[in-house]
Amino acid sequence: MHYQTESWSTYLPAARPVGDPVERIERMAAESAVVIFSVSTCCMCHAVKSLFCGMGVNPTVHELDHDPRGKELEKALARLSGAPPSAAVPVVFIGGKLVGAMDRVMASHINGTLVPLLKEAGALWL
Amino acid sequence: MASHRIGEIGLSETGPSTHHVPYSVYHGINNPTTFINQEGSAFDFGELEEAIVLQGVNIRNDEAKAPLYAGRPAATLDMFPSWPIKFQHTPRGSSKSRGESTDSGSGVNTNTLSSSIAEARREADSPVSVKGSSSLDHQKLQKPMEMAASDTSPLPSPSQSASKAPQDKRKGGSTSEKQLDAKTLRRLAQNREAARKSRLRKKAYVQQLESSRIKLTQLEQDLQRARSQGFLLGACGGANISSGATIFDMEYARWLEDDHRHMLELRTGLQAHLPDGDLRVIVDGYLSHYDEIFRLKGMAAKSDVFHLITGVWATPAERCFLWMGGFRPSELIKILITQLDPLTEQQFMGICSLQHSSQQAEEALSQGLEQLQQSLVDTIAGGPSIEGMQQMAIALGKLTNLEGFVRQADNLRQHTLHHLRRILTVRQAARCFLVIGEYYGRLRALSSLWMSRPRESMMNDDNSRQTTTDLQIVQATQNHFSNF
Repeated sequence: MHYQTESWSTYLPAARPVGDPVERIERMAAESAVVIFSVSTCCMCHAVKSLFCGMGVNPTVHELDHDPRGKELEKALARLSGAPPSAAVPVVFIGGKLVGAMDRVMASHINGTLVPLLKEAGALWL
Repeated sequence: MASHRIGEIGLSETGPSTHHVPYSVYHGINNPTTFINQEGSAFDFGELEEAIVLQGVNIRNDEAKAPLYAGRPAATLDMFPSWPIKFQHTPRGSSKSRGESTDSGSGVNTNTLSSSIAEARREADSPVSVKGSSSLDHQKLQKPMEMAASDTSPLPSPSQSASKAPQDKRKGGSTSEKQLDAKTLRRLAQNREAARKSRLRKKAYVQQLESSRIKLTQLEQDLQRARSQGFLLGACGGANISSGATIFDMEYARWLEDDHRHMLELRTGLQAHLPDGDLRVIVDGYLSHYDEIFRLKGMAAKSDVFHLITGVWATPAERCFLWMGGFRPSELIKILITQLDPLTEQQFMGICSLQHSSQQAEEALSQGLEQLQQSLVDTIAGGPSIEGMQQMAIALGKLTNLEGFVRQADNLRQHTLHHLRRILTVRQAARCFLVIGEYYGRLRALSSLWMSRPRESMMNDDNSRQTTTDLQIVQATQNHFSNF
C-alpha cells in the first residue's frame, strides 16, 4: 500500500497524505529510543553509528538506500535538519525528538547533554 | 756592437737616455724572474704601466736580444713585472752618470739592482714597501757608483747568468734610476693606487660571489622544501595564484601573529592580577580568536581539503601529531588537566567527562574516516568489474566526504574549547588558554630549531661536536623561550 512512486514527493507536507515522508519519519523515530537515518555507503553515518555503539547504545538504523521511498525520506530529512539535500544523512532522533546531524550530535556530546538525553530515553543505563 | 753584448748596459750608444735599459738587471735576476713567471694573480696593471713607462722605447732595442730570451713573446709583452721598476729612467740628466756606471759599475749595479728588485718582487703587493725599497735602491746605487771604477770583474759573470736566464728581461734601468721625474712619480703612484684598488675590488667581488653562492644553495633548498609541500601546485595558471590553500596560508600567518598578541595580553593580564571582568574580556577575545581560525579552516576545506588534512600549513612538529587537520581535543585536555590545579571536584569531574566524550567522538570520526578510505580503496583498486572512468567518478564522489570529516573535527575542537571555558572560572580559563598557546608556540619553536640544526654533513664528526653545536643553537635561540 505504501509502494507509491516518486510523484508522491510532489505533495506538499501540509496536505499530510498517508504516505507523507515527514510523518513516516516521525513514526519511525518514535519506534525506538535512538533512531538513526542513514545510508549504507555513507561514511559519516558509519561514524555516527560507531559513536553510539561505542557509548554502549543500541540504535535503530534505517538505511534509506534500502527503502523504496528512501529518496523522498532523504529530502524530508534534509528539510527537517536544515542540511543540504546532498548531506541529508545521518540524522539522529533520541526519544522521538530530533537531535540533528553529526555536528549537532557531537556538540551535544561534548556539552554533556547527549548522555542525559540518552538516559532519559532509556537507551543508556548507569 | 754593444747590443750584442749582453753583459753590457748597451745603451750608451743609443741616443736618448731613456733607452738605457738595465740589461744587467736581466741576467742578475734569476729568481725574481721565475717568481714572476709563476705568479699570475698578483699581476698589477699599475706595475705593468710602470714597466711600460720605464722601458718605453727601449724595448725596441731589445729585439735583437730576443733570441736570448727563449720562450718569451715579443719584447713588449715581456713587461710582466711582478715587481715594479724601482729604478726610474729619467729623460735627462742621468745619462752622464749612467754612462759612467754603465760599463764599469754595471756588474755591481746589477747585483744591487737584482737584490733590490728581488726585494720589490717580494713586496709586490704593497706599493709602500716598493717605494721604500726604491729609496733604498738609490742609496745602494750611490755606493756602487763610487766603487764602480774599481770593479769591473763582475761584468762577465752577469753576462753568463744572463745567457742562462734569458727571460730576465726586466725593467728597471741600472743606471739613472735615481732621478725620478715628479710627474712620472705621481703617475706611477697613482697607478699603484689604482692597482691596489682593483685588487680590493676583485677581492670584494669574489666575496660577493661566495655569499651569493651560499644564498643560492639555501634558496634552492627552500624551494625544494616548498615544492615538496605543494606550494607551487598553483603556480602554473595565473588563476591559481589566489587558490584556497594560498589564501589560507596567508590568513593563518596573520592568525599566528594575532595569537602572539593574545598570548601577551593573557600573560600580562594574569600577572597584573586584573579584575575578573577585564580578564573575562581577554579570555573571550582569545576564544573568538580560535573561532576565527575554525571559520577560516572551514572555508579552506571547501576549496582544498587536502591542504588542510595533510597539515601543509603547520610546522613539521605540529604536522607530526596532527589529527584530521588539527589538534586532538583529548590530548589537549590531558595537557591541561595537570596544569590547571587547583580544580574543584565538580570541575575535575567536568573535565574528565569532557576528555572522555571527546575521546569517543574522536574515535567515531576516525572510524568514519577509515571506512571512507576503505571504500575508496575498494573503488579504485577494484578489478576490471568497474570501468575506469566510472571508477574515477565514484572515487571523486567519495573524496568529497573528506571535507565533511575535517569540518566535523574542527567542530569538535571548537566545542571542546567552548565547553572548557564554561567549566572553568575566568582566571582558570585564562591560565588554560595560556598553557595551550604556550604549548603550540613551543612546538613551533621546536620545529624551527629542528630545521636549523646541523645537517648530515656534520653527522660524520664526533658526537660531542654535534652536541656542542646543538647546544649552541639552543642558546642562540634562547629568546624563543624567554617569552615563556
